[in-house]
Amino acid sequence: MSTKEQRERIELLQGTLDLLILRTLLRGPVHGHAIAKAIEFDSDDVLQVEQGSLYPALHRLIKRGWISAEEGTSENNRRAKFYRLTAKGRRQLTIETGKWDKLAGAIAQILRPAE
Amino acid sequence: MRRRKRMMEGLDQDIREHIAMETQDNIERGMPPEEARYAAMRKFGNVTRVKEEIREVWSFVWLEQLVQDVRFALRMLGKNPGFAFTAVLILALGIAANVIVFGVLQALVLRQLDVPHADRVMTLQPKDRGPFVSNPEMRDVRDGNTVFSAVADYEFQDFGLEANGVTRPVWGCEVSGQYFEVVGIKPFLGRLLERADDDHPGASEVAVISWSAWQGHFGADPNIVGTTVRIDKHPYTIVGVTPEGFHGTEKIAQLDIFVPMANEASLDGFSWLESRSYRNLFSLVRMKDGVTMPQVQAELNTITSRVARQYPKEEEGLALKLARPGLIGDFMGGPARGFLAGVMGLAGIVLLAACANLGSLFAARTADRAREIAIRMAIGSSRWRILRQLLVEAFVISILGGACACGLAWMALTGLAGWHPPTRYPLNFLFAMPQPSLILLAFLISVIAGVVFGLMPLRQIFKTDPNEAIKSGGSQSYAGRRWALRDVLLAAQIALCCVTITAAFVSLRGLGKALTMDLGFNPKNALLTQFDLSQAAYTGDAADHFQRQLLERTSQIPGVESSGYANTTPLSGDTSVAAVFSQQSVDFRPSNSAFYAYYYDISPGYLAAAGTPLLAGRDVSFTDTPKTPAVAIVNQEFARRLFHSEQAVGRYFKNVDGVSIQIAGIVADGKYFTTSEDPEAAAFLPISQKANTSTALVVRTRRNTADMVSAIREVVLDLDRAVPIRELGPWNNQLALSFFPIQVATVALGIFGAFGLLLSIAGTFGLASYTVSKRLREMSIRVALGAQAKQILSAALGRMLILLGSGSVVGIALGVAASRLLSAIVYQASAQDPVVLAAVALTIMLTGILSVAGPVSRVLHIDPANLLREQ
Repeated sequence: MSTKEQRERIELLQGTLDLLILRTLLRGPVHGHAIAKAIEFDSDDVLQVEQGSLYPALHRLIKRGWISAEEGTSENNRRAKFYRLTAKGRRQLTIETGKWDKLAGAIAQILRPAE
Repeated sequence: MRRRKRMMEGLDQDIREHIAMETQDNIERGMPPEEARYAAMRKFGNVTRVKEEIREVWSFVWLEQLVQDVRFALRMLGKNPGFAFTAVLILALGIAANVIVFGVLQALVLRQLDVPHADRVMTLQPKDRGPFVSNPEMRDVRDGNTVFSAVADYEFQDFGLEANGVTRPVWGCEVSGQYFEVVGIKPFLGRLLERADDDHPGASEVAVISWSAWQGHFGADPNIVGTTVRIDKHPYTIVGVTPEGFHGTEKIAQLDIFVPMANEASLDGFSWLESRSYRNLFSLVRMKDGVTMPQVQAELNTITSRVARQYPKEEEGLALKLARPGLIGDFMGGPARGFLAGVMGLAGIVLLAACANLGSLFAARTADRAREIAIRMAIGSSRWRILRQLLVEAFVISILGGACACGLAWMALTGLAGWHPPTRYPLNFLFAMPQPSLILLAFLISVIAGVVFGLMPLRQIFKTDPNEAIKSGGSQSYAGRRWALRDVLLAAQIALCCVTITAAFVSLRGLGKALTMDLGFNPKNALLTQFDLSQAAYTGDAADHFQRQLLERTSQIPGVESSGYANTTPLSGDTSVAAVFSQQSVDFRPSNSAFYAYYYDISPGYLAAAGTPLLAGRDVSFTDTPKTPAVAIVNQEFARRLFHSEQAVGRYFKNVDGVSIQIAGIVADGKYFTTSEDPEAAAFLPISQKANTSTALVVRTRRNTADMVSAIREVVLDLDRAVPIRELGPWNNQLALSFFPIQVATVALGIFGAFGLLLSIAGTFGLASYTVSKRLREMSIRVALGAQAKQILSAALGRMLILLGSGSVVGIALGVAASRLLSAIVYQASAQDPVVLAAVALTIMLTGILSVAGPVSRVLHIDPANLLREQ
C-alpha cells in the first residue's frame, strides 16, 4: 500500500516540476544548473528543488520531444548541456499552464469558498 | 535503444559539471571550498538514484523483464534437456502435420488458378453424371448465353511430338477457340490460339507450347516461334509459348502443348466434334463482370432445358452446374476436399493431443516447482509475473517446435512437389511447393499451442498458498489424492490418440484388402504395352492389320504364354461407358436404357492373357467381322442386371444405335474404373468387328521381365519405327495409379497413427513416472510396513489404468464413428471390422504396458531402507 501512495506523490511533484522547467526554458536555452537556480530565484527561494531530481525530469521531457538538448559552453567557460524548448514543448506549456490555472483556481475555491 | 545509450553516456559528465557549478556558487557566497563541495552534493541528492531514474526513463521495463524470462526459460530447459527435447519434438511433429496438410489443402483447394481474375473462371459440369460434356453442348452454351465473356472446352490428349528428329510422347490439350480468352493470360512469346484457329477442321495447323516444354524439349530456343514440328505425323507450326507457370488449367496435370480442337479428327483418328452423346470434354468459362452466380445458373438452366427439348434422344435430362475449376470440377475436387478436410481434422486432433500431452507435462513440472513458486510469491513476486514466466517458457518451447516444424514441412512439401507418381499421365504435385505464408501459419499455430498448454497450470499457480507449499516441502499432500487436471488431460489425450490409431488401422486393413482383392484380371506376370496408332497416322484397316501382325509376332516370342490386345484395359483410367438397352427396346433415349456398362474392344486371346476367367460361352474370334452378326462377351453383373440370371449366353441386348448384340460368353466380374467401386457391368466386344487405333497389348510370360520388355519393344519398332510407345512394362506399374489414392490415404493416416501412438506412450510414461516419483516416499513406507507388491502397484498405478482404459474406450468409439468418412477412399474400409477393433485394442494395450513398464519396475524395486535414509 505504502508504495502506491509514494508513487502518487512523486507523480504530482513530477508534473509540477515539468511545468516549471518548461516555463523556465521559455526564456531561452539554458543548462541544468541554471534551471535549478532560476526556479529557486523566481519563486523567491520558496521552492527548493532537490537538484538531482531535475535530471530525470529533463530526460523525460526530452523523450516526449518537448525539449531538446545540445552541447554548449556555460558563462564560466565550462562544457555543459543546454536545454531548449521545442515547438511541441511550447504548445504543451500552454496546455499545462491552463490546466494548472484551473487546478489552482478549483483548490482555491474549495479552500476559501466565502470569497 | 541507441538513443538511450547516447543519452546515458553524457550523464556522469553532466552531473559532475552541475555539482562543480553549484560548488563554485557556494564558494562565491563565501564558503570554504571543502564545505562548498559537500553542500553542493547534499543539495543534488542521491546520484545513484537519479541515474537509476533516468535509466528507467529510457528503458522498456517489460522488454527487459521479458529478456530475463526468456533467459530463465532457456536455462530451465537447458537443465532438463530430456524434457526440452521431448516437448520440442512432440510439438514440432504436431505443428508440422498441420502445416503440411494445410499446405496441400491450400494449394489444391483454397488457392485459385494462377490466371488473371481467377474468381470469374469456372467450369460447367453435368449434374448427376461424370465431369464430361460434349462439344455441341458447349457450343450451345457459348452461342446462347449472355452471362459469359468466353466459353471453352478442352480434352487431354497424348501426342507423338516429333522435333529435331526425335519423337517424344507428350501430353497436351485440344482446346476450342475461346480457351485462351477464358484463361486470359498473355503469351511469353508469339501468340496464343485464337477463335480463327478453331473455325473449321484444318483452319490452321498451329500449336502453342508451355514454357516448361519450351525449356525442356526445345532448349529455350528464342526463335521457336515459326518452327514446324510434327504432331502425330502432321506438320504443325509453333506460334507461341505460354508464360512461365502456366501448364493447363488442371492443377495436378502438367501439359506441354495446346492445339486447336477443330483438328481433332486428324489427331484422334475419328471425329467426335459433332457428337452429342460422345462426352469427352472438360469445360471452362469466364463469367462477365458483375454477373452473379444465381444469374448464371438461371441462364444455364434455360439453355439446357431448351437443348434437352431440342435433342430428346441424346440430351434428355441435361443439366449443367457451376463448379470451381482446377480439379476436374466437383468430380475430383469433391472427394479431394472431403479427404483433405478429414485429414486436416486428424492433424488438428494430433495437435490437440500434443498440447494435452505438453499441458500435463507442464502441469506436472509446475507441481514440482511448487516450492520455488511459493518462495517467489513469499518474497513479493506477483502471480502474474510467475504466470508470465511460465508462459514464456511455454512459448520458447512452442516457437522452437514451430521452427523445427517449418523445416520438416518444407522438406515434406518440397519432396512432394518434386515427386512424380508412377503413371504415364502427366500428374505431378508442383502446386504443393511450400509458400512463405506457411511460416506465418506455423508461427500462429505455435503461439496458440503455447498459450493452450502454457495456461494449463494456471489454476495451480493461482491457488498456490506460499505458507502451505513451503511447509509441506514441495511434495504437496494433495498430489496423490484428488483427480488433477493432468489426469483428465491424459485421458483426453489417449482418447484422441485412439482416434488416429483407429483411422490408421482402418485404412491399413482397407489397403490390405485392396491389394489382395479380385480385380477380375491378374496383373502379375503380365506386361502391358500401350500406344495409339493414330499417332503414327494409321486408321481403320491399317491399324487392324498392324495389330494382328503384332499379335502374331509377339506370340512367337519364346516364353510368352498368351497374348492379346484391347483398346484399353480396366483400371487404366481410360474407359468408355455406354447405355445398354433390352432387346425389346424401340426408344433409345437415355432414360429408357436398362443401365450403363463399361465397354472394351478386345482381340482373341486377350481374356486369357489378362487372366480374366471365361465362365461360359466362347472367346471372341477373328471370324467375328463387321459382316457377321454382332457379338459380345459380358460379365456376370451385366447378365444379372439384364436377365436377373447368369444364364445369358445366346441371349441378346441392344446398344444405343439400336443394334442387336448376341452374348457369346460370360466372364467374371472385376474392377473397371476404381478399386473402390461397387460391382459394375462390363461388355467386351470383338475389336475385329470395329477397328480401334488405341492399342493395349497384354503379354503373359514366364520369362524375366527386362528381357521380355526389350523383345516386345523390338517387335513393335520392327513393325514401324514411328509408333510412339506410351508405356511398356509390368502391368502392375500401370495399376499403381489405381492404388494411388488408397496408398496416399494409408501413408497419411499411418503417419498420424504412429504419431498418435508416440504421443500416448510419451504421455502415459511421463505421467506414470511422475506419479511414481512423487509417491516414492509413501510407497517406501508402505513396503517397510509390509505391503505386498500387488497392493503397492494398485496404489501407485491403479488410477493410471483407469485413465488408460476409459480414454481408450472413448477413443475407439470416436474412431469408429469418424472412420465412416474413410470408406469413400478406402475400399471396404470399416471400423466395425473385428480384426480392426482387435488390432486397435491390442496396440493400445501393448502401448500401455510398454509405457508403464519402467515406472512399474521402479515401484517393484523400491528399497525402503535406502530411500527413507536419503529423504
